[in-house]
Amino acid sequence: MALNVLRYLSFRNASALWVMVAIVLYFSYSIPETFLAARTWKSLLDAQAIVAITAIALVVPLSAGVFNLAIGAQVGVASIMIGWLLVPAGLPILVSVLVTLVASAAIGFLISVLIVGFRIDSFIATLGASSLLLAFVTFISGGRQILKMPRALVDFGTDRIFGLTYPFLVMLAIAIAVWYVLERTPLGRRIYATGGSLEAARLSGIHVVAIVVGAMTASGLLTGIAGALMTARLGNADPTIGPAFMLPAFTAAFLGSTQFHHGRFNVPGTVLSVYVLAAGVKGLQLSGVPTWVTDGFDGAALLIAVGLASAARSGSAKSLWRRFLRPRRTTLQIEAERPRPVGT
Amino acid sequence: MQDILLDVRRVSKSFGGNKVLDNVSFSVGRGEIVALLGHNGSGKSTLVKILAGAYSLDAGEIKHGAVGDVELHFIHQTLGLVASLTVAENLDLGLSHPWCGLMPVRRAQERRRIQAMLTKFGVTFSPDAIVAGLTAADRTIVAIVRALAGWKHGNHVLVLDEPTATLHGEEIDRLKGAVRTVAAQGAGVIYITHRLGEAEELADRAIVLKNGVKILEEARGAFTHDSLVRAIAGANAQTRSRRASPPRRSALLEVRGLAGASLRSATFHAREGEILGVSGLVGSGMERLNGAVFGAFPTSGGVVLVGGAPIALGSPRSAIRAGVAYVPADRRARASIGHFSARENLTLARMRDIRRPWGAIDRALERQEALAWMDRLRVTPGGQIEQAFDLFSGGNQQKIVLAKWLRMQPRVFLIDEPTQGVDAGAQTEIYELLVKAARAGAAVVVASSDTKELAHICDRALVMRDGAVSAELSGADISESALISAIIDDFSDARADCRVKPLRYV
Repeated sequence: MALNVLRYLSFRNASALWVMVAIVLYFSYSIPETFLAARTWKSLLDAQAIVAITAIALVVPLSAGVFNLAIGAQVGVASIMIGWLLVPAGLPILVSVLVTLVASAAIGFLISVLIVGFRIDSFIATLGASSLLLAFVTFISGGRQILKMPRALVDFGTDRIFGLTYPFLVMLAIAIAVWYVLERTPLGRRIYATGGSLEAARLSGIHVVAIVVGAMTASGLLTGIAGALMTARLGNADPTIGPAFMLPAFTAAFLGSTQFHHGRFNVPGTVLSVYVLAAGVKGLQLSGVPTWVTDGFDGAALLIAVGLASAARSGSAKSLWRRFLRPRRTTLQIEAERPRPVGT
Repeated sequence: MQDILLDVRRVSKSFGGNKVLDNVSFSVGRGEIVALLGHNGSGKSTLVKILAGAYSLDAGEIKHGAVGDVELHFIHQTLGLVASLTVAENLDLGLSHPWCGLMPVRRAQERRRIQAMLTKFGVTFSPDAIVAGLTAADRTIVAIVRALAGWKHGNHVLVLDEPTATLHGEEIDRLKGAVRTVAAQGAGVIYITHRLGEAEELADRAIVLKNGVKILEEARGAFTHDSLVRAIAGANAQTRSRRASPPRRSALLEVRGLAGASLRSATFHAREGEILGVSGLVGSGMERLNGAVFGAFPTSGGVVLVGGAPIALGSPRSAIRAGVAYVPADRRARASIGHFSARENLTLARMRDIRRPWGAIDRALERQEALAWMDRLRVTPGGQIEQAFDLFSGGNQQKIVLAKWLRMQPRVFLIDEPTQGVDAGAQTEIYELLVKAARAGAAVVVASSDTKELAHICDRALVMRDGAVSAELSGADISESALISAIIDDFSDARADCRVKPLRYV
């Protein structure tokens, strides 16, 4: 048992955890009075909750083999939609939330119809959908923020129990639920199988169309929750925030896929990655580094983690270099097709 | 005799003590078409690879004749064309260009040149046609023209490796015309084929390889259809392992008029408790039959009955519900999820029985189940249920895939190429598993290009040609030579009545 826990937490299996430890140790030493303040950590946990929900919403379709580039725009639509329903339309909170969640799930469903019904590659389908959704956001908001959210909503976005905000607790609940489905149920197994090989999954009797549609619909629902919470936290609906979620979500999902499951997209790794990156960026900000360093940190972390993981899968770093320096012989066939003189 | 272009002298090649070519000699003269015949495993493809320089020689030599440098050109079944480019662009790929290819293409001049080359072959498509839109025969002709395009002198040998495997009817005639045109220009042609009719019609000389030895070389007029069949099929030493033939039970699987892709109209049945073999050349529909029954490939018509009840075509789910299991030939891409563990692959097709009441997988039970199956099928390394599928050897991968389906206790078990890429030890074990499945009452249908395998395990065997079942052998009649004769003997086959549409790229 103890051995299993140790193996689970080993550097090979969970390098991000150890990077987190290194980050905490370093900044605790260099800037102890600001980095170790409880305030810093409370705001960190809270501020990243919505990024984490968005990243989880991305893990679901990625696991099913769908590349959802619309994830940021979906959050943006939900965020502006709940603001519009509450203030200009003046609907009650419960109705607005329900309508937003149903509409968000419906958007995910419609995108999946583009993918499985019209057979558009998920990369293209979600790219196009993303642009359409952004146009829709500007259309209903007129490009302006929607201010003066109702008190009750703002309270939900900012109140704390035991020092933790509601958005953070909602994120935890979602993380546990999605983790359970993906890793403990037959449905999760089928989602991963579909993402692994569409044809092999189909020939194993898996209804791959239902899996893709379901994954995108669930992803849509989760972006609805993320968008509604975003508006609740800010106290207003901002038409520009959506796209800003895409990059951190992808970074966390891919970085997370190198953790715990050796290349499989997963929830614990993704949530951990969100917070490791945020802690690093926070420490750098508090140290007073120029602003460009923080962007560089995210990018470098992703490239290094994914690069090392794929090198580990394809052999040693040494063999990786060798492959670069001396390209492997191409296939027999290409070799054979080249006319060559006889008798050499 | 005319100029010798290529002279192959006493060539031998072994792979790990297994002699695949033994002292083979032949020559190709200017303007001569040499047909190279032989069944699977006779050494033909090894010979081609040696000519191409992909394999080295153990002994012997390959020399060009007295005429100076000779160039060899190879047309493989896959052709090596870029389907999304035009004919002209494809022909241009093989040429060298000045300035690293940055000089502008002189389109008018190029078009005229290519049109002239195409006209020689009597084709009707334009140089601007997209290759993907051409028929299979036209694509092969483009590949031939491309090989010719680089010719600067007259000393060339064109090697065609089963160019007609996926062609039908008049398409074959057009290709034969193209090959004659090449020979008429003074090149030597080595024409590798399984279809005797073509060899008889085209070849100036026929060479038959069997088990790596040249057993027949005769000039036009000397060889006959019968002599070729006898040489290729021969008398094989292998006798079939006699099992007690199963009692004649009712047909469990019935297929009527199944059509789609390379299947024209396949009708057959498989009985409870028997192993039914399916054989045929590439392109005969043999490799598609099981997949079409299961619903892996789209079908355009036909009926499939399991235990008398029809199942929905094109739907693996309904096939599985009816108790049909299917193991495709491409183990890595279609039969398994490579990065899934052995355990996850084993249980993927049915998780109902390892599920807890509230929906989660009972992980202890799943591990137990996976361990038991890996133990039963003697998968090595033993007990490694968490190892990724990709990391097992071919034979063990196949055992895991078989376990995945045997777990479901299928009533109909469809398998393509059960022992492809599998070592000899695992091969025997896989045969035992199939026999055991049949004993347990399943109808087992094995589609294989390995005739020895079919002769060894089958109670009954079908031979396919042009998308339909053309012959059936049963009981004591099944032997390797009988199967090969039935597969290659296309003398009586009236191709003209075949109405199969040309294959197209998907």
